[in-house]
Amino acid sequence: MIIPRTIRRYKERREHREGPWAELFEPYKGDEVVSLDCETTSLDVKKAEILSIGAVKIKGRKVITSDRLDIKLKPPASLSGDSIKIHKLRASDLADGIELEEALPKVLEFVGNRPILGYYVNFDVRMLDKFLRPEFGFGLPNKAIELSHVYHDIIKWKHVGGEVDLRFDTIAGKLDIPILQRHTALGDAITVALMYVRLKYGETPRNIY
Amino acid sequence: MPDAFNMDNIPFSLLNEEERNLLASHLDIGYYQKGENVITAGEKPEGLFIILKGRVSESEAADEEDENGSQHIFVHYEDEDYFGGWSAVRGSAIHNFVAEEETICHVLPTRTLLDLIASNPQFADYFQQNLAVKREIVAQHGGTQDMAEFMLAKITDATVREPLVVEQGTSIKQATELMRQRKADCVLARRGGRYGMVTGTDLLDAVVINEKSLDTDIIDIASFRLITIDHEDYLFNALVMMTQQQIERVVVMDGQSMVGVVELTDVLSYFSSHSHVIGLRIERAATIDQLREAAQGLNDLIKALISTGVKIRFTMDLLAAMNGRIISKLFDLIIPADMQPHVCLIVMGSEGRGEQIMKTDQDNALIYRENLVWPEMQETMNRFSENLISFGFPPCPGKIMVSNPEWVNSVGDWTQHLSDWADTCEGNAQMNLAIAVDAKPVAGNEALFKVARNWFLRHLRNNDVFFSHFARAAVEFDTPLTFFGNLKDKGQLDIKKGGIFPIVHGVRTMALEHRILKTNTFQRIETLVEQGVMQSQHGSDLTEALALFIQLRLRQQIKRAEESQEGQDPTPNQIDLQQLNKLERELLRDALHVVKGFKKHLATRYHLGG
Repeated sequence: MIIPRTIRRYKERREHREGPWAELFEPYKGDEVVSLDCETTSLDVKKAEILSIGAVKIKGRKVITSDRLDIKLKPPASLSGDSIKIHKLRASDLADGIELEEALPKVLEFVGNRPILGYYVNFDVRMLDKFLRPEFGFGLPNKAIELSHVYHDIIKWKHVGGEVDLRFDTIAGKLDIPILQRHTALGDAITVALMYVRLKYGETPRNIY
Repeated sequence: MPDAFNMDNIPFSLLNEEERNLLASHLDIGYYQKGENVITAGEKPEGLFIILKGRVSESEAADEEDENGSQHIFVHYEDEDYFGGWSAVRGSAIHNFVAEEETICHVLPTRTLLDLIASNPQFADYFQQNLAVKREIVAQHGGTQDMAEFMLAKITDATVREPLVVEQGTSIKQATELMRQRKADCVLARRGGRYGMVTGTDLLDAVVINEKSLDTDIIDIASFRLITIDHEDYLFNALVMMTQQQIERVVVMDGQSMVGVVELTDVLSYFSSHSHVIGLRIERAATIDQLREAAQGLNDLIKALISTGVKIRFTMDLLAAMNGRIISKLFDLIIPADMQPHVCLIVMGSEGRGEQIMKTDQDNALIYRENLVWPEMQETMNRFSENLISFGFPPCPGKIMVSNPEWVNSVGDWTQHLSDWADTCEGNAQMNLAIAVDAKPVAGNEALFKVARNWFLRHLRNNDVFFSHFARAAVEFDTPLTFFGNLKDKGQLDIKKGGIFPIVHGVRTMALEHRILKTNTFQRIETLVEQGVMQSQHGSDLTEALALFIQLRLRQQIKRAEESQEGQDPTPNQIDLQQLNKLERELLRDALHVVKGFKKHLATRYHLGG
């Protein structure tokens, strides 16, 4: 059954208003954003398994790297050669990982009702939803902020016509942000956080071509 | 972030594993736009900032009266520089730190910084010294950090000179004589509770240009508009003040009472290095206690010179000169003036060669004129040695000091000793001789020493048997290289036996043979090259190798001396190979190959085969 996300969210909020995770469904009033990234075995939400989750909070123009989430999960059976080439996580690297059941409450606790920021954030949110639903009966209700949209919204006025290059490395390059630990969940989360702060508070980058 | 934050930079490299983890887990990242204040003067800073990307300037708090807003920028911080530590520890910032371009910084919260300072004394030293006392291990980042160090120096760090104060009614002539006597170049004249300053220039103007008589009261030419500075203020502010007012000295005040005078030359020399100040203090010391104080400043100077990357040869020259001045000053203070022309104090061994950096021992001796009558001589010499020990020159384990009567000789006895040693092949005699031929006169009548030396050099001429024996020691110890030419030991290496001694002794032998009067090994090598005895390529190889050995040894000596409780290094000649990086290990290996080649050369030259 496919229920549009908004309707489903509305329904879930009603169902869980009194539950232990009630505050997740409160509207967010603070100034913090959580930058979140998952490393997965595949880019197909249906097939993919989560390998690691990284997240940092952003408060104003500061990336609070001291308050962060860095979770490694137990290697799933589907950990295959192709994705290993990208994230470079082998089964042996995840040997001390924790079970997904343990990880999800940590993620929920860390994120709270703050907006979630990511690069192609929908993928990460849908991945987490896929595992949250059977367990908790709801998906992440948080507002999602898509970095490439933030970037695009700022860039497109300067760049009429033509496609805007929204590749991760391109954006980081244009924004002159150092890429920290590309393809680790936490590293990507921090880089995305820096790009966001840079876009939100910095000047529009000039040489966008 | 462990790999975005570079722990290899000092002072973070001083932290242990656990502390590094603590630091890494507390780091935040801040983003600052161009022109934004990272730290605002007067406010409490968040902590220590380490730049990941960008550029930050430190400047004076903007003066509200100063409309045009010409801010004085002290220093720029760039990649991996850190700033704000001092402000964080102190609780509020004095200067503005402004992002000059978009800047991303790691931020270490003050609380964590304080935790680290509490748990790691070396790290704390680094900070507190760097921030408050300013003498310890300076970062190896060259110019900017130096500048920062200078910026943070307080007035009391520099030489505050004791002012020469005269009362109202002192004549120009009397005042001038006093200034001459006390080696002061300005005088403060007191009238009631106020002070007026008279400088050398003022005196000249008064007498030559205004043609005042020499009996004029000094008060008449004194300037009572004194420029003063608080003793807790920054030295830099004194410099700014002097530049603005076009004056060369400011009066240092502690509340209402006067502490002294700071002069432009002192400020500038503090800036260039601390050496001049120490030199000045040595020169001005009027008592043994003052001299001791000055001598103890030397260790700090050594560390500053080493960590700022001053060339090792320059450091050695400078320190040899300083040590020489201390010893000769002590000689002046202890030896009665009427005896000074009849004796000569010589330093020997590494000190004689001017190659001692950390004071490891003292080798000295006294030569006196034949038939000198001075009953208290030995007693005076004992006192001399004791004082030298209290200055931080450790006693010589072999008792080669003037407090040992064997090393206090008349010229005749001294030459006799030298020739006796030269004729004996026994180890001890050879060692004494090796130490003695590096002798250099430092105080008293140099002629006494020269007579003995010249006689000895003539005595040795063409004595091939002697040189063959003498050179043997240089090849006695194995070079610590494997059969395949790699470093032999994985752990420790005695660099003195393996590298330094063979070079020093081999060069010493050649210098003796060619009657070169220089005692410093580097200078001996230069002279040997000039005389065509040594090929210039060999000469420069040996120079480089020796400098490398000394530098590596020194670095580990300083480290060990700091770690040990007594501040002394128990194993001064050990090099821990683990502490060297790959490049240094390779350099060391190459240098040891140079030593090996040199030993081979010595063996052929002095027929040391088998």
